[in-house]
Formats: sequence, C-alpha cells, structure tokens
Amino acid sequence: MMQIRLIETALLLGLYVLLAGGYGLAYTLAKLWNNPHIRTVAYTVYGLHCTVAIGVVLWAPLGPGWKALLIASSLAMFAIPPLTWRYLERTHGTGRASA
Amino acid sequence: MYRSQRLAVKYLAAAIILFGVMVLAGLMASYYYINPDFLFGILHFNIAKILHIDTLVIWLLMGFMGAIYWFLPEELGREPVGIWLAEILFYVFCAAVAVVAVVFIVVQYGHTNQNALWFINQGRKYVEAPRWAALGVVVVMAVFGLNVIGSVIATRRMTGIIAVLMIDLVPLVLLYLDAFPAITNMSQDLFWWWWLVHLWVEATWEVLIGCIMAFTLMQLLGTSRRIVETWLYIEVALVLGTGILGLGHHYFWIGTPNYWLGIGGFFSALEPLPLLGMVVHAVYDAGTHHMKTANRPALYWMMAEAFGNFLGGGVWGFMITLPAINLYAHGTQWTVSHGHFAFWGAYACGVISVAYLVVQKVRGAQDVGGALWKWSFAMLNLGLIGMVGALLVSGMTQSFVERATGGSTLQAFIAGQEDPWFVSGMMLRFVFGLVFAAGYGLLVYDLVTIGKRRGTLAKASP
Repeated sequence: MMQIRLIETALLLGLYVLLAGGYGLAYTLAKLWNNPHIRTVAYTVYGLHCTVAIGVVLWAPLGPGWKALLIASSLAMFAIPPLTWRYLERTHGTGRASA
Repeated sequence: MYRSQRLAVKYLAAAIILFGVMVLAGLMASYYYINPDFLFGILHFNIAKILHIDTLVIWLLMGFMGAIYWFLPEELGREPVGIWLAEILFYVFCAAVAVVAVVFIVVQYGHTNQNALWFINQGRKYVEAPRWAALGVVVVMAVFGLNVIGSVIATRRMTGIIAVLMIDLVPLVLLYLDAFPAITNMSQDLFWWWWLVHLWVEATWEVLIGCIMAFTLMQLLGTSRRIVETWLYIEVALVLGTGILGLGHHYFWIGTPNYWLGIGGFFSALEPLPLLGMVVHAVYDAGTHHMKTANRPALYWMMAEAFGNFLGGGVWGFMITLPAINLYAHGTQWTVSHGHFAFWGAYACGVISVAYLVVQKVRGAQDVGGALWKWSFAMLNLGLIGMVGALLVSGMTQSFVERATGGSTLQAFIAGQEDPWFVSGMMLRFVFGLVFAAGYGLLVYDLVTIGKRRGTLAKASP
C-alpha cells in the first residue's frame, strides 16, 4: 500500500469502531431517557459509521475478504445495541419479578 | 469479618503499592526516551521496563486475588479451606516479589547459563522473574485454586459465578507453566509463550474480571444474582469466542504459517462486538440506577472499565489488528499505546473499583464520597488518555518513517527515533505520565483516608 494510506486506513478503522460505540451509547441513552432527539443522534452516528465503512471499502487498500468482514461487522454493530437492550429489559424484568 | 477478607485487604493494599512501583518504573522508562544518558551505567532502560511490565502483571494478579478472597466467603458462607496456607503464602509472595525486584535492580545481568536462569532472569518478556520465583507463583496460584475449589467441595454449594471461576482457575494455573522456557527455536518458543501472555490476558483474566465484576455489581447496585449470572455466561462466551483465536494476531510475524494471518485478523476483528454489548450493558445498569449508589467511586471506576475496555481494546486494537496494517505497526509505540489503554480499561479500573468497595465495607460506611476521588479519577484517566494519545503519535510516526517508507533498516530506525513527531510524542507521554502519577498519589491518599477525613462518609447506624 502507499505509505500514507497505512496511517489513513488505520485511523479510519479506529473511527469505524469509535462511531459504532457512539451509536451504542446514544442508542442506550435514548432508550433510557425515552428521548427521540437522542435517538436521532444515535442513527446519525450510525450513518457516519456506515459512511466510514463505505469509505474503507471503496478506498482502503485492504483485501476483499477484510472488506466483506467490515460490512458484516457494521450490520452486527447496528443490531447489537437493540438486541442487548431487549435482552437486558427481559432479564431485569424477570429478575425483578423473581426478587 | 472473615479471615479471608482480612487477607483480601492485604492483597489489595499490596496491589496498590505495586501499582505505584509500576508507575515509578514507567516514568523512569519514559524518561530514558527523552534523556538516553539517564542513569547511564547504573540502571539500564531494559531493567526499568522489566520492572514496569512485571509489576503490571503482579499488581493486577494480586488485585484479582484480593477481590476473590473478599467475595468468596460471603458467597459460600464460610471461611475458605486452607486459608491459613494462603495467609502464609501472602507474605512469601510479597517477599519473593521484593527479592526479585532487588535482584533486577542490583544484579541486572547474569551469564547465559542455568544459574542466571534460576536466580536472575528467565529472559522472557512479562515473565522475566527467575525460575525459583516463577515456581513460587505456581505454588501461590495452586493454593489460590485450592482455597476456591476446596471450599466449594466443603460447603457443597455451587453458584453460577463460582462455577465459572472454578473452570477458569484450571487454565489460569496451567497456562502459567508455560512461563518456563525449554525450547531453543525462537519461533516455536514465541508460539507457546503467546499462549501464556495472550491467553492469560485475553481469556483467563477476562473471565476472572468478569466474575469479579459480577460480584461487584451485586454488592454495588444490588443487581440480582440471576441477572449477573446470565450476563456473565453470555459475555464470557462472547469474549472467549473471539479472544481465544484472536491469539493469532500475535502469530503474524514470528515465523508461523500464513493461515494465522487470516485466523488472527478475523477473530481479532470480531473482538469489538462483545465490547460494544458491554458498553450498552454498563450504561443501562448505571442509567436504571440514575448513577445513584452508596459508593460512587466504585461505580465510576466500573463505568471507566467498560468504556476503557471498549476504547483501549476495541478502538485502539482494531486500528492495528488487520495484517495489512499490523505488518507496519507491530511492536512499535502504537502497540504500546494499545497495550496501555487496554490493560487500563480491562483490568486496572476494575481492581480500583473493588478497592473502593472493600474500603467502604471495612470502614462500615453507609456512603463514601467526597471530592478527592473525583480529582484522582480525572487525573488518572486524563493522564492515561494523554499517554496513549502521545504514544499513538509516536507509534504512527515509527510505523510510517521506520517501517513503511524506510523498510525497517537500521538507518530507518534511527530516522524514526529522531523524527520530531516521534520525539514530541515521547516527551508528551512523559508529561502525561507525571499527571497520571499525581493521580495515583491522590488515589492512594483517598483510599487510605476516605473513612478518616471529614465529609467523606457517614458511619452506618448500629
């Protein structure tokens, strides 16, 4: 790869995960406070995450297998916060009920 | 209070003291980069580095043991089996650590023979302690295992957390046997050595801290056992599922077959996924309790653990885990940046959280607080983030100048070391190291005095 692409790709990959975390954080806060504005922020952050993912796929000098893995990870990262939230609600609900 | 809990307090105190030794040795090691003549001919850089990374391992291990000795009798309702042996071994352990440190500082080097290996240095990173001391660690860990497993057998009581802990103790002890070098082929030796370093850190320690955090959650937020155990199983399965074969990212450039590039890259790339789930979980737990608890320092440190683990392990790790990047970043200050952040987030914050919890219980306080812990919390985390940021700049410069453009020649190495970005990064690392050290000082003062200073707690009513 062109040398400067090394740094740029690594930074994009870091940003890729950071934005996924930002989405997870905002999603959870939106649910906790029942705040639609924060939910909008969450989806906006996820949109930025996807933009970075597309940028990496189109531009970064990584092999096709790694790019496919990034796309699959993006899909998983979209699903993880709602799935975790739902499961947390369920376990805490049953936990309270059994207490 | 159980005898085991008194032992726990000693272990946690020893851990916090060794944390300080680690900080001091780290400050020294970072200063060598600014002034290479520092302590020339008296104490070499590599000795300061050995002290820094070996005390890291030992203070965290002592912290974990302290936490388990604290929670175990409450969990099983009895004094652990063989606690007298553990009490004796605590002093033996501390004495051995002190002797090894003195040997490292005073003797430093031996000849390349068996005597040096047995009494001075085994020469393996993270487990440099001479063979007699390494054997001592095996004995201490075996007795620790006996305390847990023997107590379960004696009480005939098994909980989900204890079951996970018991299963984890087996590889925790067995993998340490890998610390004894026997192979002369360097590739083969490194292959097995990573089983110790990686699988301890990213498998057995992750499970151990998961158990400790489960106990902490129950005491700190009153979360029900059913919930913490369910999540312990899920998170342990996910972390182990991605972490065990994530071992492959250490096999990239040590002479192992090419397929490790694919295996290591793939499983390492999955590692951020469970960490994302943990962030959601931590925010949920804190949010549903409105950040209200009788021990805010412990709660904040537990939150710092979830976020630190995500940032240090997830974000920082993902930057360098794919083989195309790792080819240039492996073994540079970039890796050091990731290592600092990940260890801090995954383990150190958790041990500090437990230390605050134990302090509250020991002093019989309904509530602990005050302002000092916030300063300590802020300075430690600011110092850490500053250090890893500075190391990131230096590491990127190294990867770019020395590796990617220079082709890893000696000339390129020197060019990388002299690059203004690299030098500035190392200087900033030292400055933020001082901030971190100041935060450590406040942490110690707070832990020691939090029950004695006015305004830090209210005594529990009888």
